[in-house]
Amino acid sequence: MTAHDWFDEHLTEYAMRLLDDKDTATFEAHLSSCAGCRDEIERVERDLAWLPMGAEPAAPRPGLERRIVHGVLGGVPAHASRWWLPALLAAGLLLAVGGWWSGSRRVAAEEAELAAARAELAALQDTLSVIRGAGRVLQASVEMNGAHGGMLIFADERTHRWNVVVHGLPPAPPTGRYQFWFICEEGMVRGREVDMPGARPASFTTGMPTVPCTVKGAALSVEPMDATSGPPQGSMLAHLML
Amino acid sequence: MTDSAGRAGERRGPVSTSREASLLRRLVARDEQALVELVDLATPWMLGVAQSMLRDVDEAEEVVMEAFRTAWRNVSDVQHEGRGLMPYLLKVVRHRSIDRLRSRRRRQLKLARVATETAGHGTVPAVEPDEAGQPGWHVHRKVHEALRRLPDEQAAAVRLAYFEGLTQSEVAETLDIPLGTVKTRLRLAFVRLRTELSGLKDWVP
Repeated sequence: MTAHDWFDEHLTEYAMRLLDDKDTATFEAHLSSCAGCRDEIERVERDLAWLPMGAEPAAPRPGLERRIVHGVLGGVPAHASRWWLPALLAAGLLLAVGGWWSGSRRVAAEEAELAAARAELAALQDTLSVIRGAGRVLQASVEMNGAHGGMLIFADERTHRWNVVVHGLPPAPPTGRYQFWFICEEGMVRGREVDMPGARPASFTTGMPTVPCTVKGAALSVEPMDATSGPPQGSMLAHLML
Repeated sequence: MTDSAGRAGERRGPVSTSREASLLRRLVARDEQALVELVDLATPWMLGVAQSMLRDVDEAEEVVMEAFRTAWRNVSDVQHEGRGLMPYLLKVVRHRSIDRLRSRRRRQLKLARVATETAGHGTVPAVEPDEAGQPGWHVHRKVHEALRRLPDEQAAAVRLAYFEGLTQSEVAETLDIPLGTVKTRLRLAFVRLRTELSGLKDWVP
């Protein structure tokens, strides 16, 4: 066994971040002088690049995407889109003459606000396009712990998307969460988690399931917190058939 | 009205190599709308990776946010490396999740939980349709098929080590088998997975 055999043996584990801290440090020290191992690690990473997609996807909580866009553009001041770049440059020049420090801070803040507003606008346009294009509106009453609410679906038959509004329900119990379902001929297909933060209605836009199925309706349930896959396990609150 | 998944997929637009390349070019040009599109496409998958490792929704969201920040900052490097946006984002999310797992000393808690969950099933859980209207199911299905074809004992080791973020020693402890056995199982599994998955190049069939 040569001194290099240990590195050959542990190369994949290193690439997959499975080694403990001590072995990782040993490997990293070796990599600085071994082009062969560096190349092989790149090949391993390339071959297994899609392996993380084996994890079940998770439905983002309402508003997460908007917060991400805001956070990314706010954390690192975004450059302006090209069509207003000249205006920004001119504004920057004026600010440099008139007081560059306070001015540049204001521009950065405005850029972040603009980016957030754009993301918000894109989301609103998307929602409105579904509501305006809806060929059918479906409604079901929902009762939860004495509260009377409802679930509405604006079904856009042209784009096969729905805008779903859930209203009048209390926040989910500490041990559970509201879950939207597609009722398919083949069985129940999990949709998005519905976050009811307070008195305001929750709404979201969804496409049809990408798994092969024929959608016949929709349902809302309260699922146990740890039931993140599989068929419904909790109490069914509403059913809507198309 | 009867809707089919296929039509919904068409409306959203497939994430083909060319679309991803176009997204990448626009991100390099600092097009903020491209960022919005990328976040919409990639978040459920990134969140899935982070949540399966961290078991904490708030922390998983933070990791996903960090990954997008990193990608936005280093998007030119991603373009030069030529590995694709999605693999890059998944890699960053996974590595950040591992860093958090290790730095926050949550292992004992996690080990206890995983040990309980492992009892009764030694294989990777079956795929259930979990997220509606999301591109990427094709890749998800292919990866799951590859994982399902592994012998049960190898699949269990991969699940704990790769998808749950345990070190090999922790996997050995959890499964109550020698460390050498864990290493062998993982090595054999990854050789097989490399063969099966190296042909995957795209988000769509």
